Amino acid sequence: MSLLKSWRVRIALVLAVVGPGFITASVDNDAGGIATYSVAGAQFGYTLLWTMIPITVALVVIQEMSSRMGAVTGKGLSDLIREEFGFRATFLLMIALVVTNFGNVVSEFAGVASSFELFGVSKYIVVPVAAFIVWGIVVHGTYSTVEKVFLSASGFYVAYIVSGVLAHPDWKAAALSTLTRPESIGFRNYGYLSMVIGLAGTTIAPWMQFYLQASIVEKGVTARQYSTSRLDVIVGCLFAAIVAWFIVVACAATLHSAGKFNIETGADAAQALRPLAGDYAYLLFAAGLFNASLFAASILPISTAYAVCEGLGLESGLDKRFEEAPAFYWLYTALIVFGAGVVLVPHFPLFRVMVLSQVANGVLLPFVLVFVLLLINDAELMGKHINSRWYNVVSWVTAGTMIVLTIAMVIAQARE
Amino acid sequence: MSVVALSELLGATVRDASGTVRGRVREIAVTPQDHPTRIAYLIVKTPDGERILPPDTLMSAGASVRTATEMSQWDRFSPSDGLLLLKRDLLDQQIIDVHGRKVVRVNDVEIESTPVNRHLLLNVVAVDVGARGAIRRLSKGLVPSFTLRALLEKIPPRVIPWQFVDLLETDPARRVKLKIAYEGLAKLHPADIADIVEDLAPAEREAVFETIDEEVAAEALEEIDPGIQVSIVESLDKDRVADIVEEMDPDAAADLLGDLTEAQSGEILEEMRPAERREVTQLLEFGEHTAAGRMTTEYIAVSETAVVDDAIEALKGFEGSREALATIYLTGAGQKLVGSVPLVKIAISSPAIQLSELSEPHIACAPDTPQDEVAALFDKYNLITLAVVDEHGRLAGIITADDVITMLRHR
Repeated sequence: MSLLKSWRVRIALVLAVVGPGFITASVDNDAGGIATYSVAGAQFGYTLLWTMIPITVALVVIQEMSSRMGAVTGKGLSDLIREEFGFRATFLLMIALVVTNFGNVVSEFAGVASSFELFGVSKYIVVPVAAFIVWGIVVHGTYSTVEKVFLSASGFYVAYIVSGVLAHPDWKAAALSTLTRPESIGFRNYGYLSMVIGLAGTTIAPWMQFYLQASIVEKGVTARQYSTSRLDVIVGCLFAAIVAWFIVVACAATLHSAGKFNIETGADAAQALRPLAGDYAYLLFAAGLFNASLFAASILPISTAYAVCEGLGLESGLDKRFEEAPAFYWLYTALIVFGAGVVLVPHFPLFRVMVLSQVANGVLLPFVLVFVLLLINDAELMGKHINSRWYNVVSWVTAGTMIVLTIAMVIAQARE
Repeated sequence: MSVVALSELLGATVRDASGTVRGRVREIAVTPQDHPTRIAYLIVKTPDGERILPPDTLMSAGASVRTATEMSQWDRFSPSDGLLLLKRDLLDQQIIDVHGRKVVRVNDVEIESTPVNRHLLLNVVAVDVGARGAIRRLSKGLVPSFTLRALLEKIPPRVIPWQFVDLLETDPARRVKLKIAYEGLAKLHPADIADIVEDLAPAEREAVFETIDEEVAAEALEEIDPGIQVSIVESLDKDRVADIVEEMDPDAAADLLGDLTEAQSGEILEEMRPAERREVTQLLEFGEHTAAGRMTTEYIAVSETAVVDDAIEALKGFEGSREALATIYLTGAGQKLVGSVPLVKIAISSPAIQLSELSEPHIACAPDTPQDEVAALFDKYNLITLAVVDEHGRLAGIITADDVITMLRHR
């Protein structure tokens, strides 16, 4: 009886924590995330681990701001941007968001293609099927049921933690590179810089700010009940960051140390799970990548359609009929159809695009962040819930750093 | 008479009587206390602070503004609560389109400019919620204004006449000063009000429910999604909630109070009138998913010895929901249910006929009947209402078909 009771308590605790923040963080480790962390580990070994702590701090701060803004104002991020900054600024930001998120949708379908490639299943079959499934579960309102499946399957990430341990990484080197300042030599190198931007962009993706704030509003969290949501957000972010760290370490210990620096296909990336799963590494990797890709693919297009339509004042919502909200449904459908369609181009570089889309996230991030910061420091809007000084310092430094890194990347690329 | 867009006026250069540029238009103010649509003045940003410019000093208003006065005659601007500032309060904000029954976002505001005796009269006539306003604002300053005007002529306008616009204002004091009463909204069907309210942010929902008539609020609240119901109720004053809950159907009221914490529902019950409180408390004691949890105690029951005329009198005095009117119940000694007469039969029978002659075999269920069985009874006997009787056969309440449909949809 007491055993049963303790289990019940534990499950209740877990469920209490699994809120919008945790879900957002789980979706954060999507196809682009897995690809970027894997490539970072394979190509640069442990040397990029220093990015993890600053990125995690920024992630917690930024996600907390989004959810606080949702709880206090009861409005979505694009609504607030429109109301405070007018039509033109909103329009430009929405264009940038659609382009970037389209890249992310492409990367999710690339993830789907890549996972089935391991079994020799043609992408010409699996990608259209996946696109159809995604379109269907959202439009037919079965998403909330399916979300639980996706979420529980996200437990796959634990495989990376175990595999990372079993691969006998150089713990000392890993810990040292996590905690010490990076060598400045890398900052003139285009590959290195774009990877740093990609790591930040995949971990703190701009779409997450819109999605998380919308989920908080949807759930009806108010300023009074906000402290539980804050815990949910922080736990989610830490989980996402720990998984990211272990993916990099696992890839560094297996691929990089074996001299395999380039990841071109899922088969290469799956090697990182070999210490745990042996010959079954392919299977484990494929299943995990497929789940992550499909999970994010069901969220990204719909969340983009909501953000854009709300910002521009177009009718939106799945409770509306097609004729009532044509722009909403067209945008949603187009993101899926073209996102999946692009992947079907012959010889499409799946892994390269997954990483590149995350670099695009990193480039857009500071712009979204500036809007978030201006809004959250508006006392008329946020009342006593405006940012504390340290929140502002962390966020402005993040925005500034991302802009500087982007400029440095462009210069480095021009030189090469 | 011509129409000028708010976005054209904002930022327009202002020239004084001598033709010298003195500043730019920053805001446009309406004082609803004085006139609901007339523009009181333009707020002009000059190197010497903000000045106000009433339309009756203007000679032209468009991409540039020309006035007949000298800058020294322009009064200084001082902010006040009673001002409706078109840029701040309207542009890019959400409003309720009463005619279209939805929440929309304002892309631009159309202002009518009428020349009267060498000066202008400016009135807000409509808000633009379509592509025309959007494109005008996107291309402002990038495309020459005459090209833009020609281009915009080709786009079909999507405007909402000003009289169909309800503004959203969360500050109660300002709401009074700006004369915002949600009159348009309150005239809509409760189900439409509910849909609109669900699309609003929490503070705006609160504003609507603070303002509109209790009876309308009660009917609308019944139609709102339970999760949102709770958050609205939590945001309002307890006595205001009590006033609204008193007007609700007792079964809907009980469902709502059942979703709140015991402390909250207790506070609300305390504020309610004793009669309504008793009814709701009784219903609250039953499980939500049973017949009793779904039933209402507002129904029409007359004695089995009554005639048609008595039933009609009872109908006239009835204050409950229209759905509950479909059947008149007959009770015998000790409130025992003995029969039921459909409303149709009463309508087509002469006043002196005994109701017992019109009575049909009545279908009834016990208070603890699970709701699925209730639905099955409605289906099997094609019911519009179903009587709920206690263990002594006394009529306790009735369930109406609309509640069953709601229940089935929410499963």
